[in-house]
Amino acid sequence: MLSISLRAEPIFSIGSFPVTNALFMSFLVLCVLIVIGFILRRRLTTIPGPGQNVAEMVVEGSLGIMDSVLNDRRRSEQYFPLVFTVFIFILFSNWLGLLPGVGSFVVGSGASSVPLLRSPASDLNFTLALALIAITFVNIASAAALGVRHRLSTFFNFHGPIEFFVGILEIVSEFAKIISLSFRLFGNVFAGEVLLAIMAFLVPYVIPLPFIFLEIFVGFIQALIFAMLTTVFVGMALAGHGE
Amino acid sequence: MQQLLSQLGIDWRLLIAQAVNFFVLLVVLLLYVYQPLLKLMRERGQRIEDGVMKADEADRRLLEIEEIGKEKIKAAEHEALGVIKKAEADGKTLEARLLAEARQKEEAALKNTEALLRAREEESRRALEKEAASFVRRAIAKTVDLAPETIDNALIAKAVEEAKQTA
Repeated sequence: MLSISLRAEPIFSIGSFPVTNALFMSFLVLCVLIVIGFILRRRLTTIPGPGQNVAEMVVEGSLGIMDSVLNDRRRSEQYFPLVFTVFIFILFSNWLGLLPGVGSFVVGSGASSVPLLRSPASDLNFTLALALIAITFVNIASAAALGVRHRLSTFFNFHGPIEFFVGILEIVSEFAKIISLSFRLFGNVFAGEVLLAIMAFLVPYVIPLPFIFLEIFVGFIQALIFAMLTTVFVGMALAGHGE
Repeated sequence: MQQLLSQLGIDWRLLIAQAVNFFVLLVVLLLYVYQPLLKLMRERGQRIEDGVMKADEADRRLLEIEEIGKEKIKAAEHEALGVIKKAEADGKTLEARLLAEARQKEEAALKNTEALLRAREEESRRALEKEAASFVRRAIAKTVDLAPETIDNALIAKAVEEAKQTA
């Protein structure tokens, strides 16, 4: 019988630490990306090969998109590593989560069987961790660029009652950003997982195929949205509250 | 709150584990991919920029050299024209001087020739007079032998002639 769980299911434990299928999949994605990274690193040459060409095209395109938000190539290159890592991690998590076998290989037996692998973004721990990292990074970047006092004055402004209230709104907005980033990604990917599971359960052949293509697209778009919003938040934080 | 977090499956240990996963990926990609790749792209971009700048510089210098070449050719043409004009003027001067010298030499040669001719004429005339005198002497001598009155008449005629000339 089809069972859908909002929470990632533990597949084994290391001491008291439960390793969930989403965390395990996230680790696999990490390994895949590191291997790709090492292969790319070994093949880096001044005259690029096909793989390096694609990588450079992607990097140049990403920097171009960041330039359109930050209006500064130096800044784009400065914040590129975090933003692009967020993008690529989410993208590969989403796409590898659509591979055949993910969700169908199970551990355990009978009613206690759980999928061995699960798309990492369908676990709130993954999306929340990324959102927390992104928003923390935004604040650190702003403090580094404009000064800690300036950044703190965004939240704690005692120049007047209106400024004070605006500061409180800014604090609330920071939490809202974390929640919106994490729940948007989680909601979309989890909904996609549920949709695919239901379609595969109802009509196992052919019919789920268009939905898989849809999820490939959604996976890309959600990764792009997360990365773009991080860039936009960085841009806003660097502009300061007076601009 | 705790119940909500539990229902959503939020566990701070899993949260940290996912964050660690991300940071490991970030550090590895940063060290092994982003930095070398961006450095490579930057260097290539710089090289291309330098190449374009050098090409522009080369074009500019080529134009400058072409301009300098044109100016030099123009100056050389101008100088050559000057040299030709000067040569023509010098030629004319030399021609005039040579002509004058030739004329002087011609006149001198002419004078010399005239003097020579006069000298020769004088010499010839003297020789002729001498010859004539000798001839006359011999003729007189022969005539005297034949008829002394003839010589008297001749001497009288000569004396009369000389008297006419001196008169």
